[in-house]
Amino acid sequence: MTRTLLFTALLLTTGSASAANLTVFAAASLTDAFTELGKAFDAKTGNKTAFQFAGSQALRTQLENGARADVYASANTAQYTPLVDQNLVAPGQAFVSNKLTVIAPRNNPRVTRLPDLAVPGVKLVIADKNVPVGDYTRRMLTAIDKSGTYGKDFSARVLKNVVSEEPNVRQVALKVQLGEADAAVVYVTDVTPALKPSVRVIALPTRFNQSARYPIGVLKGSANPEAAQAFVQYVLSPGGQQILKKWGFQAPR
Amino acid sequence: MSWGLTRKREASLEPARSAVRRPRLPVMPLLLGGVMTLFLLLPILVVLGRGLSADFLSTLLSPVVMDALRVSLWTTLTTLGLTVLFVTPVAYLLARFDFPGKAVLDTLLDLPIVLPPVVAGVGLLLTFGRNGLLGPPLELAGISLAFSPAAVVLAQLFTSAPFYLRTAKAGFMAVDREVEQAARTDGADGLRVFRFITWPLAFPFLLEGLVLTWARALGEFGATILFAGSLQGRTRTITLAIYSALESDLAPALVLSAVMVLLAFAVLLFVRGLAMRRRPGL
Repeated sequence: MTRTLLFTALLLTTGSASAANLTVFAAASLTDAFTELGKAFDAKTGNKTAFQFAGSQALRTQLENGARADVYASANTAQYTPLVDQNLVAPGQAFVSNKLTVIAPRNNPRVTRLPDLAVPGVKLVIADKNVPVGDYTRRMLTAIDKSGTYGKDFSARVLKNVVSEEPNVRQVALKVQLGEADAAVVYVTDVTPALKPSVRVIALPTRFNQSARYPIGVLKGSANPEAAQAFVQYVLSPGGQQILKKWGFQAPR
Repeated sequence: MSWGLTRKREASLEPARSAVRRPRLPVMPLLLGGVMTLFLLLPILVVLGRGLSADFLSTLLSPVVMDALRVSLWTTLTTLGLTVLFVTPVAYLLARFDFPGKAVLDTLLDLPIVLPPVVAGVGLLLTFGRNGLLGPPLELAGISLAFSPAAVVLAQLFTSAPFYLRTAKAGFMAVDREVEQAARTDGADGLRVFRFITWPLAFPFLLEGLVLTWARALGEFGATILFAGSLQGRTRTITLAIYSALESDLAPALVLSAVMVLLAFAVLLFVRGLAMRRRPGL
């Protein structure tokens, strides 16, 4: 019994150099793209990659409190740089960029154009201000205010319609998918094939839209720094970029 | 301490016999029990220690914390009111009357206690949500539950009312039927018997049930975040505020956690006190 246990423990600790167990902490918006990318990476390298998807701010808090992971991919620099400053992660490499969009339930006509977001009584769901997409959403609204197209108090009127501030972008999208909210602000990449049938997309003019930059890097506490670095390289490689592009992400700018 | 002394003295008098008769210190259970006790108490003490720090008061008075306390207070009080109004009759009927299928119904009504809260949230969403079973008729009636404090109350009511139902039922069953009968013989009608005999006699049970319901409602998270969303000052209860604050400024999360620990302690003391009064000598 003891011998078996010892043997198992030995196996678990040593493993083989070629097949590492990797843990990747990634922004919720990367859920579909990274899941596919991880499978391709594992098939190529023989590693076993596991993902934890959540709002970047939640992942950052977990990492600051000692969570063990090998790679961190955030949806903005604000939730990444503090970890660099604390020497928890290597400086980030931008690997994709993303755009915002407004979605509404397909069978609900209350919001069809951007100015509809400010109509009193509209139920708008956005992400919390600490969530990257929540931060980009507020920047987008400020940009609209500055342009004056819909009046200087547009963002104030829109924010009055916010009925819930969610902890990650997938929860924001879910509220529209379920038909509970009249509209929501998410990334263009969140309008996945699974979501598309139940929502309408209201495009944002380029001059208001925000460019979300995603940094990625190997964590200092990684037990498999080589394999972790290999994952980052794969994400940046043409093969990895091809998968990300397929899920609607754009090349980093 | 005294045990050790006795053992030592006896050992010196009758070394051979006492070694056989005296129970040995149960090392294994003591060790395992100690580990478990530490495991259960240490995180609570750490939360208290971190939460009740120097800037406890200033954080407590910050808008994030005050809003959460206010939302939780109003929604849980509403839940309690609805619980008393709607669950008391159910408990009374289950305690006093027999009907076909009673045992099944009795068991089914306990379901929310063992159901994962997030499942409760899904159920509420599919029933009362805009696209849910009762969504369209509710919308016609001009009632919009989505993202409202009413949704918070429904989530709390669903997950916590069964606690009151259980204790209230036990309370009504513990009331001596002969006392009620005597009052009825003296000419009191059903309502008066309930008001002046049954209710006061069952009251300690009802109170315990209410306190447990309140504690459960206060801790509600899974069903609330799914069914009611999370907006400061409107639907963001204490637990939702802790979850949200953990991801930015830790201080409000720690203070609210400490407040919850203190409240939980008060609830335990209260329920303990009630139980002691009900069963003197225990």
